[in-house]
Amino acid sequence: MGTERQLPDSIILAVLRSDKAPDEAIRQLYRSQFGVVANYIKQNNGTDEDAEDIFQEALLSFIEMVRKDKFRGESSIGTFFYAIARNTWLNELKKRGRSKLRDEKFEKAKDATEMDISHYIVHRELRAKLMRTIDSLGETCKKILLAFYYENLAIKDILQNLQYENEQVVRNKKYKCLKQLEQMIVTDTQLAENLQSILHE
Amino acid sequence: MNENFTNSDILIQYLDGELEGEQLLAIREKIATDKNLAAELESLRLTRTAVATYGLKKTIGSVHTEMMKELANQTPAPVISMRNLLKYGLRVAAVLLLVAGSAAVFQYFTATPEKLFNDNFEAYQLTETRGNANSNLLETAYKNGRMQDVMDAFKQLTVPQPQDYFLQANAALRLRNAPAAIASLQMLQKINAGNNAHYYEDDIEYYLGLAYLDNNQPAMTLPIFERIHADKNHPYHKKISPWLMQKLRRLADQQAVSR
Repeated sequence: MGTERQLPDSIILAVLRSDKAPDEAIRQLYRSQFGVVANYIKQNNGTDEDAEDIFQEALLSFIEMVRKDKFRGESSIGTFFYAIARNTWLNELKKRGRSKLRDEKFEKAKDATEMDISHYIVHRELRAKLMRTIDSLGETCKKILLAFYYENLAIKDILQNLQYENEQVVRNKKYKCLKQLEQMIVTDTQLAENLQSILHE
Repeated sequence: MNENFTNSDILIQYLDGELEGEQLLAIREKIATDKNLAAELESLRLTRTAVATYGLKKTIGSVHTEMMKELANQTPAPVISMRNLLKYGLRVAAVLLLVAGSAAVFQYFTATPEKLFNDNFEAYQLTETRGNANSNLLETAYKNGRMQDVMDAFKQLTVPQPQDYFLQANAALRLRNAPAAIASLQMLQKINAGNNAHYYEDDIEYYLGLAYLDNNQPAMTLPIFERIHADKNHPYHKKISPWLMQKLRRLADQQAVSR
């Protein structure tokens, strides 16, 4: 298990910014960062489960920041990632309202964070709600939208995977699905009002 | 424009870069003059981003499952059977109860700062997983338990970072060089105070208390551990037991009397 090669930061960042599948970069981040983050969380009132949840949240925020060019390798990935995970956990502790004292510590710690990342640490509940909304979309719609907007596949490639008559039918289905999802989001006031901040836009 | 398409369809086509020529110009003009259309375009754009975020979250979730297995295999946690634990635990507990009372009394009166340090010092665990190739020399040496190398690497640093001070202090404690540990931890406190920063704030407090103990200064440890003991939210609160405080108070009193 110890023979996987370690990718340098620059390669990890390049993979995350590209259209390529991010899986290998994510694996590398697990290997290099999970222990540090899990230690921090467990030493600060967290459980193993908290550590896993927060790590996934931090990964999502980190990749989105890389893709939006908010992190260009000014510091090491480790330093930056740790800051995101730490802020995510402090936010969670604050939400859980462990104590007034912890809140004060949180505010102090937040002020001291050199990188302006607080904007990227969104309420986990809202993001989870958005994810649940998309989850409730039909399977076919999810497949088409993910293939097109996440995997960046061409319509002809999507056609090969799904049983439709021709490319135009797939396109029409894509329009219909995206519009349907947009309506599901728009009709949820809480999501609609916070969509920009949830998506870090 | 194709009559069969609704405005929404055309907006999505525009968003996906499928329009060109006159169609493209026409929709741009419409968007520029129609606020509702512009708002719908923005809403669709955000929905598209939401789909990408959803996809990324799914990918992270599936890699997470895979990686938890891999990491667990690297550092197998000791498996303790609850049945065995109860079986042997109850037997042992009975014996322990018998000797605990006398042991406690013995411990109380024979406690020394050095013993308290030895009983309570656990080096800060940086990580349990394999080292990152990009970690600096000091961090790598620390992860690998090469404490003298940590000390040497620290000396080579022209501008040590907070983590460097903290790891060097822990390495010094492991090497039983309490003065060096105290100096580094105090320096880190000064850096924090000077920059209104909070690097390792809680950790510094705890390890500084231990460093004073190892340096035979229980009176210096006492106020630090009193604070941690009183603060239920302090990450090291659980490490400072009432029993430890009792012994520490006795040692601090002894030292005050002897001076």
